[in-house]
Order: sequence, then structure tokens, then C-alpha cells
Amino acid sequence: MIDALAAEWLKLRTLRSTSVVLGVVAVVVGLMALLAWYAAGLWDGLPPDQRDHLAVSSLPELTGMLGSLCLAVLGVLAVSGEYATGMIRSTFTVMPSRGRVLAAKAAVLSVVAFCAGFAAILATYALGRLIIGDRAIRGQSTEPLARQLPLFLAMSLAIVMFALLGLGLAAVTRSAVAAIAVLVAVWYVVPLVAFNLPAPWGDRLGSVLPGALAGELAGTGNPGSVGGSLLSPGAALVVMVAWVAVPYGVAAVLLTRRDA
Amino acid sequence: MIEVRELTKRFGRTVAVDGLTFHVKPGRVTGFLGPNGAGKSTTMRVILGLDHPAGGEALVGGRLYSRIRHPMREVGALLDAGAVQGGRTPLGHLSWIARSNRVGRERVVSVIEQVGLAGVARKRIAGFSLGMRQRLGIAAALLGDPGVLLFDEPVNGLDPDGVRWIRELMRGLAAEGRTVLLSSHLMSEMELTADHLVIIGRGRLLADTAMRDLTGVRDVFVRSPRAADLAAALSAAGGTVAPAGSGNGEGADLSVRGLGPVEIGDLAARHAIPVHEITPRAASLEETYLRLTEAVTDHVSGRADR
Repeated sequence: MIDALAAEWLKLRTLRSTSVVLGVVAVVVGLMALLAWYAAGLWDGLPPDQRDHLAVSSLPELTGMLGSLCLAVLGVLAVSGEYATGMIRSTFTVMPSRGRVLAAKAAVLSVVAFCAGFAAILATYALGRLIIGDRAIRGQSTEPLARQLPLFLAMSLAIVMFALLGLGLAAVTRSAVAAIAVLVAVWYVVPLVAFNLPAPWGDRLGSVLPGALAGELAGTGNPGSVGGSLLSPGAALVVMVAWVAVPYGVAAVLLTRRDA
Repeated sequence: MIEVRELTKRFGRTVAVDGLTFHVKPGRVTGFLGPNGAGKSTTMRVILGLDHPAGGEALVGGRLYSRIRHPMREVGALLDAGAVQGGRTPLGHLSWIARSNRVGRERVVSVIEQVGLAGVARKRIAGFSLGMRQRLGIAAALLGDPGVLLFDEPVNGLDPDGVRWIRELMRGLAAEGRTVLLSSHLMSEMELTADHLVIIGRGRLLADTAMRDLTGVRDVFVRSPRAADLAAALSAAGGTVAPAGSGNGEGADLSVRGLGPVEIGDLAARHAIPVHEITPRAASLEETYLRLTEAVTDHVSGRADR
């Protein structure tokens, strides 16, 4: 297993998609800093009695949401890229245990997704605080980092979940297009549908969607977003695991049964 | 040693490999021939554990490929030179393969040099020609210094220098006692490279034989101004004589079987019949191959291929 992990790590590191995706994550952090700078300028230009009308979404949460999609796409490309080129046959020739290959890919991707996600969220938080300073813009938390850390860690876990969801979907469909289509549906389209469902179904569906789980896991809920807040942290963790385990399990079975 | 036993593989209703049995022995180059769609690549994929057979089995060194712990150290294979990700460099591509099978880094460098890619070891594969990709695929196959090697069409895209390099490489590997299975469409190249041939058509075995048995002396071409007299003498001595092509005015040409050139020459001298030419003619592998596969060729020229 160590050999497979090391090999998959080398592969992911030398994959062009990896640097592109991580570059996009860095750009997202930069955009958040721009947004903070723009909001701070707006705030400064408003008369004090109107400043309460200015609200900006939580920047670390925006980074977490966009980062989820980026790392999910990396999860897809880490597998679909091998199918598209036929390299999957080299991989399975070199490492005939396909279950082990999938596990190694998932493990390496998880570490990359967690580190990249956590770093991006922390960087967004730090830049936001630095730029916004003590301006009390609505939507921007002024709590110290220690109080925010559980949420940031939960968001990083959600990013790992998205990445593994992408990996599983790509291994099942063997197609980047199909896997990314499903991902975008789960990330954006289904939450929109949930938002427009009549009560209590909107909240119920919105609470089990991947995008809502980080808030529920951290116990902060999802105020001001389409995500529901019905699950306890423990239940949120279980649902998070299920979003990963189901496609991964199907992928593991299909991978060993199908011809490469 | 590769053992293929009663191997059957279906894709939907199509039977790609149909009860195929053959052995590939060490110390010689075994050529693997057959028309398009005969099941060569499928057989190789089953040997490497990539495709699951519907029946029978393929063993490498007495074991299923998928049971080998570090397969690259025992079996090297080049199936499809295009099956690499263009974003990597040869160094990067070979490094993960080496790491996965606990092959040392120094071996990566040495195979890159061996296949002549040292100058482009850090260039992206995307810009490589097919020939360079073939060399990279061969480097990957050689990486673990394996005793068994499988190559599917390795000379595709190579220039004459490269073709010759492959030929010498294959013969060298076999001379070191390794088992080498090599598929190719180039008959003339196969004739120069392989010692033994396995020919299949429509998934079935057509021939499993030494190269010399397929390409041995076919007949002796004899030209004489007194062809009729010579033919009578040769027939009396036990030869089978047939006219060979059109005469050129000074006699006729004969195709003689059952007698060697020395016997024919001596016989002509004894009868004082002038002879202008005696040439032993070998059957080319191409002729033999086409005759063997005539009945089983799926894609005849003129019809749409696939």
C-alpha cells in the first residue's frame, strides 16, 4: 500500500491539472481579498447611519464553497484523465490490485484537498481581517480565529468530501463530462431546487446536501444560505461519509469487475 | 514462460478469443501474428490481467498476472504507446512506475538512456512523436528488468533506425534467456526478428511453429534451353516438375520440388543439358501468412474497416 500511495502521490504531483486547479484556488483567495477591499471602500464611503445596509457574504465560506468545486474537479480529473488517455491500463498493469489503486488515489487526494482547502480558507480569513480591519460589515465575522476554527475545519472536511465525491463519480462514469455534470448539479442546481421547495421539504433536502454539511457539522447551521440546518453535528458527519462512501463503493466494485 | 490455456473472451456477442491455447517459451522471440481483429491485443490484455476472460486462463511464470506482487519486475509490457498523459515528462512517467514496484531511481535514468530519450527526459510527453512514445513505452517495459516481455506493435511509428534498434533489442533480450512475445503487422520485420510464430485468426490458433518451418525452401527455379529434356530427366530422378512462368524464347523455366540445386546441377551435367540458372526459392513469411489467414480475414481491402 505504501508503494501505491507513493506512486499515486508522484502521479498527482506531476499531473498538470493539479497545478491548474490549485492555481485557481489561489485566484479565488485573491478575488476574496479584492472583494474585501471593495467592501471596505464602500463602507468607508457610506454615511455612518447607512453602513448597516451593507452586507457581504462570509468570505471564508465563499472560498470554501468555490474551493469545494475546484477540488471536486481535481478529484474527477485525477481519474478521468487516466481513462481519457488510456493510461489507466498502464496503471492497472503496474499495480494489478485495482482496489488498492483506488484507495491510494483517494488517500492522496484527501490530503491534498484538506491542505489546499484549509490553507485557502485561513488565507481568506487572514486577508479579510487585514483589509476589513475593525469595520463591522454585516456578514463578516469579527470573532477570533480560535472561535472560527471548528467551522474552518468542518469546511475543509467538506472540501475533502467533494474531492472524493468527484473521484468516485469519475471512476464510476469514466468520463470527466458526466462526472462534472453530476457534481455541478449537486453543488448548485439541486440546492436551488431545494430552496424553492415548499416547507418543510426545502429545509429537509437542503440539510442533507453536501454544501450544507460543513455548517451543520460545526454547529453553526447555515444562516443566510440555501443550506438547511436540521442535522446535528453527528448526523451531518454520517451524511458526509455517505456522500463519499456510496460512489466510492460502487466505483470499487465496478473497477474490479470491468475490463480496464 | 507464458501459458495461454483454452482462453475465451467475448465482448457482447462477439467472440474475440475462442479457446486459444499456446505457450511462449523463454530464450527466443515469439512473433504473434494475425489479421486485424484476430484477438492479439485482447489476448495480451488478458495475459496482463486487464481483461477478464470468459473461460480458460493465461499464466505468466505459472501464476496469474494479477497475483504478482511487483509485476514490473517479472513482466514488462508495451500495449499502447499513446496511453500516457502528455503533461508529464519521461522522468515523471517512469518515476511513478518505478516507485510503485520498488524499482530504484538509478534504473529510471539507465532505461531512459538505453532507449535514447536522455536528451528529452525533462520535456513534456505531449510534444513527442509516436516513435518517441514507443521508446518511452519500451523504457517502461524494461524498467523492472523483467524476465517476460510483451510488445504490441512496437515498431509502429519508428524510423528505419528505430526499427533496426527494436529488432536488435528483441533478439538481445531473447538471447539473455528472456521470454519475448512480439506482435507486428510488418511481415518482413517479423521474419528478421522472430524465431517462433504464433498465428491466430478470429480468436483461434492457426499456427504455432518455428519460423524456419514456415519460410523454408519452397522450390528450385531452373532455366534451360532444353527444358523439356531436363524436365524428363528430373522427373525420372524423382523430382516434381512444373512450368514456372513464361519462357524467354531460348527454352522454358521450370519449378522443381523434391530435388536440391546440387542434385539438379549434377543431373543436368550427366545428361549434358545446358543450364542457365538454378535458384532455390524460399517462401516468404508474407506468402505463408496470407495463405494461412486468407479464410479468416475479417476486414478485406475494399470493404470498410470497422
